[in-house]
Amino acid sequence: MDLIMRCPRLITQGLMEMIRRVTHSEQRRTRRDRLMHISRIFRFLHFVMADPARVKPVVGVSEAPAERPTQSEGSRDAPGSSGKVSEPAAVQSTTREQGKARSAEEAAAAGEEEDGSSSLHPPPAKKLKVEHDKKKEKRHKVDEDEIQKMQVLVSSFSEEQLNRYEMYRRAAFPKAAIKRLIQSITGSSVSQNVVIAMSGIAKVFAGEIVEEALDVCEKWGDTPPLQPKHMREAVRRLKSREQVPNTKHKKILFH
Amino acid sequence: MAEEEDDPGFDEDLDDGGNGVDSGQGKRKRLFSKELRCMMYGFGDDQNPYTESVDILEDLVIEFITEMTHRAMSIGRQGRVQVEDIVFLIRKDPRKFARVKDLLTMNEELKKARKAFDEANYGS
Repeated sequence: MDLIMRCPRLITQGLMEMIRRVTHSEQRRTRRDRLMHISRIFRFLHFVMADPARVKPVVGVSEAPAERPTQSEGSRDAPGSSGKVSEPAAVQSTTREQGKARSAEEAAAAGEEEDGSSSLHPPPAKKLKVEHDKKKEKRHKVDEDEIQKMQVLVSSFSEEQLNRYEMYRRAAFPKAAIKRLIQSITGSSVSQNVVIAMSGIAKVFAGEIVEEALDVCEKWGDTPPLQPKHMREAVRRLKSREQVPNTKHKKILFH
Repeated sequence: MAEEEDDPGFDEDLDDGGNGVDSGQGKRKRLFSKELRCMMYGFGDDQNPYTESVDILEDLVIEFITEMTHRAMSIGRQGRVQVEDIVFLIRKDPRKFARVKDLLTMNEELKKARKAFDEANYGS
């Protein structure tokens, strides 16, 4: 809330209007529209929380950020609407939302740090801050580039690839089952973050095994539906690389 | 064969009556069958993966989670599993580490956004 308090009035009004639009017509909106709205709000926040070192301090503080979102929205909505299937477009906007949210968070952190001291201009601290800003700018640009490249890539997928990509993004372990499993092992309750972290790691782990198994399958000259022998060979290889944790067999040094 | 000794869980499903030690794991209901199928398709397998492969993967995932939980319980605050412990255990694996960092950051941002949302709604 304090973020919104610090914005100039124009930006706050724009933001409140956006939020009001989403909340008031919530019943009629489809899930995709809501996602697009949320992604727009995030994008707005991203430009509002622009780096003060980049934005001109004189006149255009309130106008420049407010103008840029409308321009960028126009240019970025075009690739979003050209997606043929509605679900992958939602996936795309989720990608953008996630990417924007990530860079919004960085920009917000930068904005909050710089806000108090940019008006004071202490010379030695300012030099360090400018370097820090440049690094954040570079990370910004790297994020932006990556997001744009992802957009270009996803927009050129075939139907089957889109399906697979959608499954890749959406498949996840059910949080309730993971929570039950962890709690049955620890005997005490665990926080939600633990469940989120554990299910994320488990998904990466499953991905590593499937990828290794596909490598094995290709190497042995077999075709895709993966067979148990591929999976076992993949596990054996990952174990030798110590990517599969195993404390059942204690290694004895100097046997 | 070496695989059988390493992973007794694999053969549990093939045998009719499991052995005494690991029978729990063999007879346990399949927790993640549907999700794992979608996941395998997403990671590059066929659209209909074999049931045996899905079973193997489920056993591996459950073993992984169990292993992680046990390790997390033994470091940091004993007997409890905390996020910091998991992050510490994962530090050597770049993919998993990056993924956990991303997930937690995203979660924080979503919580902040939801909070700002609710307050704006309440205010107007």
